[in-house]
Amino acid sequence: MTPCFLKIPDGLKRYPLVGIVCWLAALVGAHAAQDVRLRVWSHQGQEAENHAVREIAEAFNAAHRDRGWTVELSFFPDFQYTEKLAVAAAARDLPDVFDLDGPLVARFADVGLLKPLDEFLSDAERADFLPTILAQGTVDGRLYALGSFDSALVLYYDRELLARAGVTPPVEGQGWSWDEFVKACEKLKTAGIEPVALHMNESADEWFTYAFSPVVWSAGGRLIAQDIARVRGELTSEAAVRGVRAWQELFARGFAATDPVEPDPFGQGRVAMDWSGHWMARGHLATKGDRLGVMPLPSLGTPAAACGSWCWAISAETKQQEAAVAWLRWVTEAETGVVPLVRANGAVPARRAAFAHFPEYEQMPYALFRAQLETSARPRPRTPFYAMLTHRFAAALRDISRGADVESRLRKAEEAVQRVIDRKRPTKTAEASRP
Amino acid sequence: MTAWEKQASRRAIWFLLPALGMLAVFVAWPLIRAAWWSVTDADLLATDDAHWIGAENYSDLLRDPRFRHAFLNTALFAILIVPLQTLLAMVLALWVNRPEPAWRWLRTVFFLPVVVSLPVLAVVWTLLYQPEQAGETGLINRLTSVFGFADRAWLRDPSLALPALAAMSIWQGVGLQMMVFLAGLQGVSREQLEAAQLDGASAWQRLVHVVIPSLRNTIVFVVTVTTILAFRLFVQPYLMTRGGPDDRTLSLVQYMYETTFLNLELGRTCAAALLFLTWVGFLTWLQRTLFNEEKS
Amino acid sequence: MSGRRRDHITRWAEALLWSASVVVALLFLAPLLWTLIGSFRVEEAIFRLDAASLIDPRMWTIENYGDAWRRASLGPALAVSIGQVALIVAGGLLVNSLAAYAFARLQFRGSDALFAAVVMLIILPVEVIAVPMFFTARDLGLTGGLGPALAGLTLPFMAKAFNIYFLRQHFLNLPRQIEEAAVLDGARVWAQYWRIALPSIKPALATVVVLDVLTHWGDFLWPLLIGTREETRTVQIGLANLFTQPPVQWGDILACAVIATLPVLVMFRWLQRYIVATQVHTGIK
Repeated sequence: MTPCFLKIPDGLKRYPLVGIVCWLAALVGAHAAQDVRLRVWSHQGQEAENHAVREIAEAFNAAHRDRGWTVELSFFPDFQYTEKLAVAAAARDLPDVFDLDGPLVARFADVGLLKPLDEFLSDAERADFLPTILAQGTVDGRLYALGSFDSALVLYYDRELLARAGVTPPVEGQGWSWDEFVKACEKLKTAGIEPVALHMNESADEWFTYAFSPVVWSAGGRLIAQDIARVRGELTSEAAVRGVRAWQELFARGFAATDPVEPDPFGQGRVAMDWSGHWMARGHLATKGDRLGVMPLPSLGTPAAACGSWCWAISAETKQQEAAVAWLRWVTEAETGVVPLVRANGAVPARRAAFAHFPEYEQMPYALFRAQLETSARPRPRTPFYAMLTHRFAAALRDISRGADVESRLRKAEEAVQRVIDRKRPTKTAEASRP
Repeated sequence: MTAWEKQASRRAIWFLLPALGMLAVFVAWPLIRAAWWSVTDADLLATDDAHWIGAENYSDLLRDPRFRHAFLNTALFAILIVPLQTLLAMVLALWVNRPEPAWRWLRTVFFLPVVVSLPVLAVVWTLLYQPEQAGETGLINRLTSVFGFADRAWLRDPSLALPALAAMSIWQGVGLQMMVFLAGLQGVSREQLEAAQLDGASAWQRLVHVVIPSLRNTIVFVVTVTTILAFRLFVQPYLMTRGGPDDRTLSLVQYMYETTFLNLELGRTCAAALLFLTWVGFLTWLQRTLFNEEKS
Repeated sequence: MSGRRRDHITRWAEALLWSASVVVALLFLAPLLWTLIGSFRVEEAIFRLDAASLIDPRMWTIENYGDAWRRASLGPALAVSIGQVALIVAGGLLVNSLAAYAFARLQFRGSDALFAAVVMLIILPVEVIAVPMFFTARDLGLTGGLGPALAGLTLPFMAKAFNIYFLRQHFLNLPRQIEEAAVLDGARVWAQYWRIALPSIKPALATVVVLDVLTHWGDFLWPLLIGTREETRTVQIGLANLFTQPPVQWGDILACAVIATLPVLVMFRWLQRYIVATQVHTGIK
C-alpha cells in the first residue's frame, strides 16, 4: 500500500500533463521579472579564474543593490563559445555583456553587434590601460572591447630535471634559439625524461592558433594578410612552412606527446618543460617552488610572443546600457576587477594602477610576462574571418602533429579559408588574392 | 453518410488541428523558409538582407571539395553501418528468440546501449578508444591486444577513425533493430515452419526458405530506417573527433552546422540541407522499388 | 538415437549455448561495466585494471559523483531533460493520437491527400530543418529564459508524422463492433476516441512513448541550438561541457554519464510490461 503522502490525487493521475505543466509554470514563475537583471556571459576558464569572476559579480551585486542591478552570470566552455555567441546573435538573444577572445572583436564589430565604448571612457582612464589592451579592442578606430588582463605564453621548465639531463637553461629573460631547444630536448629524451608538454589534448581550437602562431611568426611568416584579407600564399609561404615543419619535428622525434591524457603533466613531474601560459603560473609556482624556471618561447629567427586575451564587450542591442557600462567599468577597474582576476590567473594586469598590488611581478615568472608584452608581443590577426582561420589552422596543426605532410595540409587549410573570404568579399579580394 | 458520420466529419478538423498545426508551424514552414533561403545569399546575422542568387549556392556546394568530402564520409559511414548492423540485428534476434524466461535477460543486455543515449556513449567511447599514453590504455586497445593486435590510436588514425565510429554506432543501435526483428519473427507462420520440418528441412534451410522470406518487409523497414539514421550522423564525430583527423570523419550535418555558425552562411546551409533531403528521399524511393515491398 | 540420449545432447547444447551467451553478454556490456566501475575510481586509477589497484581501497571513491553533480549543475539539467521528454511524450500522445484517430475513423474530404502529405514528412530528418526551425522558434519567442526555452525544446517535436502513421495503423486494426456499439449507445465522437479507441491501443501507445523517450533523451543538436542560457541546458549538453571544460576529470565524466542514464533506465523498467513486441510489427505491415 502506498503511504498517504505518496498517493497522487486521482485528478492528477488522470491528467499528468496538467501536473507537469503546473510544476513547470511554478519553476518558470520563480524566474519572474525582478529589478534590472544584467545577463553576463563568460567563457569557462580555469576554475580559479571562474571563481574570481563569480566573486567579482557578487561584489558588483552587493555594491549596486541600491540601484537594483543584479548580474546573472553564465559560463560556457571554450570549445563552443564562439558558436554559442553566433547562435545567440542569430537568436537576437545575446547577453547584455559578454567576454570574447581578442581576435574575435573584429568579427563581431563588423556585423554591428557591439556597442562602441569610446564615449564611456575618459582620457585619463584610457591612458591607464596598457596599449596592447586598447589595440586589441579597437576596430577601425573605435573601441569596442576592454580586457582586464593580457596574456603571456612562455616555456616553463623544471631546473632539476634539466640539470639531470645536463641541460643548461638560458640566461634569465633570454630564450633559446630553435636549434638550442631541439638539442635540449634530445638530451632530455636520452636521459629518459619527456622533454616538453604541448597540450595537444586541448579541445578549444584557439589553443593551437594562440600557442603555435609564434612559431610561424618567429620564422618570419604570418597567417593572413590582414588588410586585404588574403590567406592564400600566407600559410604556405616558405617561412610558415619552415616554422610548422620544425614544430612537427618535435612530435616525429618523440619530444612531445600527440595524445596526452593528463591536463598538467609538467605539474605532475612527468615532463621537463611546459609550453603554456600565465594561467598555469600560480599552480606551477605552488608545485615546483624554486625549481620553476621560465623562458620565452624558442625562436626560429625573430622572437615573437603571443598576447591578447579575453575582453569584455557590450551588446549593441542591450536594454540595460547603464548597468552594462557599470559592469564593464567594474570588471576592468584595478581594485574591483583586475586585481582579483590577476590574483587568480597570474596574467598581466591591463591597468597600470593595478601593478602596485602585485609586488611579485618584479620577479620571475611574472616579470617575463610583462617584459614580453613590451618587447616581442604580437597580437593574433584582427580579421572578421578569424573564426574560420583559427578553426582550419588548428585542424591542420592537429593533423600535422600526427605526421601529415606540412605543405599540402596547410594548403588545404589555406584554400578552405580563402574560398569563404572570396565568397564574402568578392570585390575586395579578386585581384589581391593572386599572390 | 449517416448523421453520425456527418457529425464525425465536422469534428475531424478539431482532431487534426493540434498535430497538423504543429507540423505546419514547426516542420512545413521551416522547410519552405529553407527552400527560400537556399536561393539567396542570406547571412546568419542579417537574414532580412538576403539577395536572390538563383542556383549559385547549389552549384557552389556541388563543386566544394569539403562538401563532397562530408557527403562521401557520411555515405561511407552508411555503407559500413547498414549491412553490418542489419545482419547483426537479425542474428541477435534469432539467437534471443527463445520463450524460456532464462533467456529474457539477454534481450535487455543487447538493448541496453540503445537506452544509454548516444552523446553519453560518444564521450565514454572516446575514453575507450584511448591509445597508450603514459602507461594507461583504453579498454578497446586492451581487448584487441588480447588477440595479438598492436595498440592503435583509433580516433586519430585517418583510416581507422570512421570505422571506429561505425563500430561504436553499430554496437549502440543494434539492440533496437534486434527488437524490430524479434517482433517480425513472431509473425513467421508456425504452420509453414512445421511443414518444412516435416519435409526434413534442416534448421539452416528452414531459416533461408521460410523465416527470411517472411521477414522481407521487416528487413526493408530496418534497412531504410538505418540508412536514413546513418546519414544523419552528427553527435559521434562532433564529440569524438571534431570532424578530424584530416576531415575524415566530417559528417554532412557537421558541415552544415559549421557553415551556419562559423561561416555564418545561412543560404548555403539551407541549400546543403535541401540537397540532403533530396538524397534521403531518393534513397527511400530506391529501397522501396528495389525491394518491391509487398503490402500484406 | 534413443529419446533420452537426444535429450541429453540437447541439454548439453543448451547449456553450452547459454554459457556462450553469458560470455558474449559480458563482452557486449564491457564498455558500460567499465563506465560504472570507472565512475567510482580515483582519477589515476581510471584506466588501470590490474588486480592490485582493484583491491586497493584508496583507488575507490564516490567523490566523482558529487563533483560531477556540482560542476555540470546536474540538478537543474536533469529537471530540464526530464521535463523536456515528459512534455514531448505527453503532448505527443495527445496530439498524435487525435490526428491518427481522425485519419483512421473519421471520414472527411481530402483525408487521403492530407494523410499522404503527412506520410511524406516521415523521412524528413530534423537536421534538414534545424536551422530554419531555430529561426521560427526565435520568432515565436521560444528562445531565451527557462519557460520559453522549454517550450522551444518541446513544441517542435510533439507532433510526429511517424507516430501519426503508426497509431493510425493500430486504430485501423481495432474491430469496429465496439465502437459501433458505443455509437448506438449515443456516444459522441470524442467519447469514442477517449473512452474506447484510445484505451484499446495501450501497447501501441507504450511503444510510441518508448521510441519518443529514446529519441529525445539523446537529443543533442537541437538543445545545442536552443539552450543559449545556462539554465536551459539538458543533461547531455552538461555532459559534453564536462568533457571539454578544464580541468578534464575522467572520473567526473564517467559519473556524469551514469547519472545521465539512470532516469531512462528507471523509466524502462517501469514501461517494460506494457510493451508487446508484436505491436511494433503491426505498424510495419
